[in-house]
Amino acid sequence: MTTASTLTDRYVDAALRHLPARQRPDIERELRASIADAVEDRLDAGGEPAEAELAVLTGLGDPARLAAGYADRPLHLIGPALYLGYTRLLTALLVTVVPAAAAIVGLMRGLRGDVTVARLIGDVLGAALTAGVHLAFWTTLVFVIIERTATARRAATRPWTPAALPEPPSRRARYGELITQSVALVLFTTFILLSPTATTRTDAHGDPVGILSPRLWESGVVYLFIAMVIVALGFSFAKHYLRWSVPLAVAGSLADIAPAVTLIWLAVTDRVLNPAFAEAAGWSPGVPRWITTGLVAVSAVSLLHTVTEGITRARHR
Amino acid sequence: MLDDELLSTHLQELRRGTVVLACLLILRRPNYGYALLDLLDRRGFAVDANTLYPLLRRLEKQGLLTSDWNTGEARPRKFYRTSGRGVALADTLSRDWDELDTALRTLKGES
Repeated sequence: MTTASTLTDRYVDAALRHLPARQRPDIERELRASIADAVEDRLDAGGEPAEAELAVLTGLGDPARLAAGYADRPLHLIGPALYLGYTRLLTALLVTVVPAAAAIVGLMRGLRGDVTVARLIGDVLGAALTAGVHLAFWTTLVFVIIERTATARRAATRPWTPAALPEPPSRRARYGELITQSVALVLFTTFILLSPTATTRTDAHGDPVGILSPRLWESGVVYLFIAMVIVALGFSFAKHYLRWSVPLAVAGSLADIAPAVTLIWLAVTDRVLNPAFAEAAGWSPGVPRWITTGLVAVSAVSLLHTVTEGITRARHR
Repeated sequence: MLDDELLSTHLQELRRGTVVLACLLILRRPNYGYALLDLLDRRGFAVDANTLYPLLRRLEKQGLLTSDWNTGEARPRKFYRTSGRGVALADTLSRDWDELDTALRTLKGES
């Protein structure tokens, strides 16, 4: 019987290990008695001692599961009451914060300069991955703790009301936004493309001096920027006509973030304005600085708007 | 023909709460875990040991059962007994069961 009793000992130990200390003695006593009763019953029916013990313990199942029953602990990380809130919050955070974090890291690296494009892309992807893993881990951890705290669970599970239904997108209002965005794009592009020639200042040779830095044209950045703005407009239309989905939300956020980040980068590195124009116009040194600050501020507000709108849309999809 | 898995799922759902009522009724006379398991099994309330033992503790915590250690015999056993609250709950649950039974009979008669 020694090996068989060792098996019971190991089973009882394994079950008690998962229980609060003050419950252990009582449960141990009862569990041992119950196992002994069950084994005895099988022996009376003509079973082998070792086999009887094995069968009884097998019938009781995983000791950790039995202990969870005694301690009234859930056998899931996040239960049905919290699951929907968890997935909604996690999705909303992932589709907005991850692209934003990637963009900010890309901007920082780009500003420091002297990095290769491959290195930059690697850093941006690394930042996106890190941000995603952190968000997923910490959000999950918070919900796991809420699931295991009775008071927090009650506070976190509000009864659903029809007020939480997704808003029907007021098509007319949204359409107005799209039209405004399209008109703004046309005016803006026209201004940029005409600025080198249609200008108020000329240099000593009588050639026009554009307000925007000629290097933007030499490097092709200006065309890249216009392309980004057009892509962002395209995504605005896509978001208007298509149902919400994770790929669309992520791509849309990226498309909105890209021109804003590019503009911040250009402004901070003094690549927007043409110094020759400032000189010809007789601007004081403060004027270009104010214009640069204004551009950065507008871009920052646009970034913030992208993130908040992304969260709102993800939560009310 | 219903497949076994589907059948057992629905039977389990239907019988889920009946084990509590059966325990409260049986334990009007004090008894211990393994004997109760055996009794339930013989009365047709199949329940696993690893479900029943924690359930008894839970019912005790809810004040529906009381317990005493019987150390008179060779093997000390924890005896459970339905408390006053437990008896009241058993009455309510039994009435509800009877009403369900009547309602189901009416439904079956209508079809």
